[in-house]
Amino acid sequence: MTLNLFYFLSFLAVLSALMVVFSKNPVYSVLYLIITFFTIAGHYILLDAQFLAVVHVIVYAGAIMVLFLYVIMLLNLNRESEPHKSNILKFAAVICAGLLLVVLVGSLKGTEAIVQQSGKAGIGYVKTLGEVMFKEFLLPFEITSILLLAAMVGAVMLGKSEKTNDTI
Amino acid sequence: MENPNLAEYLPIALMFIFALGFVVTTMIATHVLGPKRKSKIKLDTFECGIESKGNARIPFNIKYFLVAILFVLFDVEVIFMYPWAVNFKSLHWEGFIQMTVFISLLLVGFFYILKKGALKWEE
Amino acid sequence: MNALFVICGLGIISLIAEIANFRKWLISIIVLGLLGAAALVVADWNTAVAYYHDMLVFDNFSLAFTGLIIGSSLLWFWTASDFFEALFHKTDKSALILFAIAGGVLMTSFNNMAMLFLGIEILSISLYVLAGSRKEDLGSNEAAFKYFLMGSFATGFLLFGITLVYGATGTFQINTIANYVLTHAGELPSFFYAGALLMLIGLAFKISAVPFHFWAPDVYEGSPTAVTGFMSTVVKIAAIASFFKIFATCFSTIAPVWYTILLVIMVLTLVIANITAVYQNSVKRMLAYSSVGHVGYILLAFLADHKESDGTIFFYLAAYAVSSLAAFGALILVGGKEENTLVERFNGLFKRNPIVAVGLTIALLSLAGIPPLPGFFGKYLVFAMAINNGMIPYVIVAIVTSLIGVYYYFRVIIAMYFKDAVAEPLKVSTSKEVLIVVLILITLALGIFPDFLIQLL
Repeated sequence: MTLNLFYFLSFLAVLSALMVVFSKNPVYSVLYLIITFFTIAGHYILLDAQFLAVVHVIVYAGAIMVLFLYVIMLLNLNRESEPHKSNILKFAAVICAGLLLVVLVGSLKGTEAIVQQSGKAGIGYVKTLGEVMFKEFLLPFEITSILLLAAMVGAVMLGKSEKTNDTI
Repeated sequence: MENPNLAEYLPIALMFIFALGFVVTTMIATHVLGPKRKSKIKLDTFECGIESKGNARIPFNIKYFLVAILFVLFDVEVIFMYPWAVNFKSLHWEGFIQMTVFISLLLVGFFYILKKGALKWEE
Repeated sequence: MNALFVICGLGIISLIAEIANFRKWLISIIVLGLLGAAALVVADWNTAVAYYHDMLVFDNFSLAFTGLIIGSSLLWFWTASDFFEALFHKTDKSALILFAIAGGVLMTSFNNMAMLFLGIEILSISLYVLAGSRKEDLGSNEAAFKYFLMGSFATGFLLFGITLVYGATGTFQINTIANYVLTHAGELPSFFYAGALLMLIGLAFKISAVPFHFWAPDVYEGSPTAVTGFMSTVVKIAAIASFFKIFATCFSTIAPVWYTILLVIMVLTLVIANITAVYQNSVKRMLAYSSVGHVGYILLAFLADHKESDGTIFFYLAAYAVSSLAAFGALILVGGKEENTLVERFNGLFKRNPIVAVGLTIALLSLAGIPPLPGFFGKYLVFAMAINNGMIPYVIVAIVTSLIGVYYYFRVIIAMYFKDAVAEPLKVSTSKEVLIVVLILITLALGIFPDFLIQLL
């Protein structure tokens, strides 16, 4: 049952990820990306990480996708303004990506199933996560606030027009 | 792969199936049941009865985006509170202080945003 | 550790300054705070304490690089004081710069991959915005956008690499990973190596080594000159420190895997960066390529003996940072409001303002590696180290490329002294003149007493 579900979710994830790339309309790409995120959330549940799954749906499929749509709407997509890429460039990109794929497939293939080093029961529960986060990973947690602050200041600095209150 | 107790997710799965099923059924039903009249005027975009002009894809104000991005940042902040809330009792005052530091740092950011007028619409 | 808190606190104070309207004394407070942070670094010397479940370890390596970062940022605040003039963005800019410095400190002192990632992200996000802080300028927009896209792509590689390494070893702590690799040699899954190589790519991007350097010239050229100065000193120091830390401790035992790759990267960096720099008409772009080229020399030292090269790299970076700050400081003054840094603008600079011209000359000579300036000692140490480890062919390549370097640095110097001035004398505030004198003095002091810094590590 679990294995079948895994194959189904993986198939869906790969398919919708491919559709993200191949869709001509960027809005469709975003919608396919949402499906991808949902399937990945499903994978998290299969891995017994429920909190991560829910957060993934709330933050990625919910909030960040809205941002993606906004970005697409901010761009002026009326004209066919996409610059034409030369064939050599495409060829080089295909070769590079193909090499990366070969390396990753080659390195993951032949690896025996990874030993369950952290196979404690309930590793993905919110409770376990909280215990780890507020004890061992306390400093990264607090430093994250600095990261969020930097992003906030950056967003305000770039997004706010400065004409009006330059006189303060 | 660990085998989580998938039966526990049955209600959630059912909910998803029903939600999806409802949407699909209504869409198909309206297609089948509704009358079909395809003339140029019927297929036109309806814009409050005024004749539509131009394209819907106009670049819009950056302020929407600014609000959205600030929302995402605070959304992420809230996510951090779930693990804390679940462990609230076992973390005691220590956890409370740690969370207070985190929140107050972001609160500084919030007041900064207000002071900068990033959320003011009419400027 | 406390230095990190002080720097983060100063960033918060910048935000509070906006809320509570005390922008006037902000920069003075920041400078005082940074001086305090530097004092804290000195006080922590030789302690090597691990903090918060080994998340950060401040050993002498981290402290030295933290000190270097703080020192360069102090000098940077002086060179870039005009950058903070626009009142509306004063607090934003100072907060972002301070957060970037805090990110840099994390990158030198992390002992856990999570901290490395956070440090890189804090540094990068602040810089993406700072690169685009001349909003009305198209070049600045381009720089920010390019930096953001390429930077997030590189972070993706780094993160994927961290994931694979974690999957193979089951830990984020770099010393635990090093132990694990040592005790499990031969039975590591092959995706561990793939992870290490992906991390190599991600970090090579951050230190802008060829062929991952394509963003550097455009970003350096488009950003405001002050920000470019920050990128080429503080950011570079932090990136190289984290690169060193990862590959000299964590992946030291699997050196055969990355050695050849890094060797190719090193030679490419030296040759391509220095040759491309010759063809640049903008001094800023030329300095961008030269900063890429300097990474090549640092990599040469690293490859010669990755465990013992920390002292050499530290001195090289210190010498490079001081010279680079002086060069960018002069560039800010010459470029003026429109930030025009074409070589022609330097024509007859010696007649227009001798102090700036002399300062720039000494900076460029030091970057080129002319004795008795510190750049020369840096290169000398690198070459001596490489020769001792039998890398003579590579040393020859490096010497040839540094001769090419002399050529393009001298183009600017010749323009300053032997071409006719095109504009009126360049008026410079007294504070900036003092700054240039101070930078010259530091450069000369580093050149005359290099032992002090070399023996630090």
